[in-house]
Amino acid sequence: MSAITLRYLIVIGLIALWELLPRTGLIPELFLPSLSSTLIAGWTDAGEYGHALAVTLYEVVVSMTFACGGGILLGAIVGSLPRPRVLIMPMVSSLYAVPLVILYPVFTVWLGIGSESKIAFASIYGFLPTMLATAAGIQTIDPQLLLAARSMGATLSQRLVRVIIPAAIPTVLSGLRVGGALVIVGVVVSEMLISSAGIGYLISRYRTILDSPHVFAGVLLVLFLAIAFNAAIRWIERKAAIWQTGTRAGQANEEIASGAMQPAT
Amino acid sequence: MQPLANVTPLKPAARAGAIEVKNVGQVFRGRSQDVVALEDVSFEVKPGRFVVLVGPSGCGKSTLLMMMAGLRQQTSGTITISGAPIPQPDPDRVGVVFQEASLFPWLTAEDNVEFPLALRGVPKAERRAKAQDALKLVGLDGFGKRHPHELSGGMKQRVSIARGLVQDPPVLLMDEPFAALDEQTRMTMGDELLRIWAATGKTVVFVTHSLTEAVYLADEVIVMSARPGRIVDHLQVQLPRPRTYEMLSGDAFGSLRDRIWRHIRKSA
Repeated sequence: MSAITLRYLIVIGLIALWELLPRTGLIPELFLPSLSSTLIAGWTDAGEYGHALAVTLYEVVVSMTFACGGGILLGAIVGSLPRPRVLIMPMVSSLYAVPLVILYPVFTVWLGIGSESKIAFASIYGFLPTMLATAAGIQTIDPQLLLAARSMGATLSQRLVRVIIPAAIPTVLSGLRVGGALVIVGVVVSEMLISSAGIGYLISRYRTILDSPHVFAGVLLVLFLAIAFNAAIRWIERKAAIWQTGTRAGQANEEIASGAMQPAT
Repeated sequence: MQPLANVTPLKPAARAGAIEVKNVGQVFRGRSQDVVALEDVSFEVKPGRFVVLVGPSGCGKSTLLMMMAGLRQQTSGTITISGAPIPQPDPDRVGVVFQEASLFPWLTAEDNVEFPLALRGVPKAERRAKAQDALKLVGLDGFGKRHPHELSGGMKQRVSIARGLVQDPPVLLMDEPFAALDEQTRMTMGDELLRIWAATGKTVVFVTHSLTEAVYLADEVIVMSARPGRIVDHLQVQLPRPRTYEMLSGDAFGSLRDRIWRHIRKSA
């Protein structure tokens, strides 16, 4: 049996268990409501979940723009210039080890409990890995390639557009994957902590009234959001980086993807 | 700044492909002390000759090649290519072939070959035609659509050579182009390079570690000493062309190789 079939079987098995275990009473419905009751809960309050999803999506998209845009820009600067690298890198690396979620209450004091504080928090949360990956991507470019381009008469801007950017794309994309995933985490967690709207808020509110099916409906929604995001990034990676097998950038990419660069939460 | 090559009046066309290196020195400024990498290096290469630079590691032969390519400036002395100095890379006068892995992995073979033409805005159709010709010349007809990771080491170096030749410069500089290849591929590529050289009539300056490769390929071998790099011998290889595998075991070949080896052993 191939690994893929086995993987599908495991997923199907887990889904079946999710339905069967609560139904047979092996697990109380309060701890784990059955899949069907979760889906029904989500369906009956579809309007409420739809509104929450819209709020969360809006926050995620805005945060991702900030996190990725800022991360790529600053990562490119830090990666290509030694002086800012010496200044900034140690700080960023230390910051990466700090559980940033402790700062969220401060953000709500500054920006209120609306979307602004979530966007600010999630942006910073996703910014760090994107920046680190971009800096790494630029630093690992083979100097031979730049020398070859120069020997063919490439100007500085031609080297940037035709060599540095294409060479850095695979690493930057894998940074975006980690960064984007953290943006989703940042938005949902901050909604759960202090807020008045969004999926995280719904999960948190239904939990306080012990309405497990509604809690799990929210969880499912976040799950789909994360899976959809990951699929989108993978699609872009396949489109943009067919060549990266066996290159140095490809190896750096593997390290990041395999979790060598995971943050404290 | 020195005048650009294309505004400097070049000497008559007879000089095209001629290389003159005169009293060239290179000093690397270190933190505590300066390192003399090259000292008073002088030689001339006539158009169309195949010249090989050999010497122990760190003798500055690659540095010298980078200077001839306009990628690095010498501390003292002058270098002229086709009668004019080379203050910056000029792909119209000099093509460069590097060690392995200098192809852009995200581009196909033909896009790699077209790269120097694309840099100066040559129209697509013309670019493609020239790249096809260059690929045909190096024996890679039909492999243009492949990416570098789909090519063998020898094929990659053929693409590199095609890229160096695509603008038809009179001079081709090669920095240990076959160093990463296995012995058999290396021999084949040597023969291929000689065939391409004979077909195009370029002046070739070829840097290598391998004494056998040096004697097998060259019209002239320039032997350099360990740091500071100086020229310790400049010998003519009178073996007939085309060179054949049988010559490798001949006496003439052996005595040339021994002569180079004695120089290198003395200075290393």
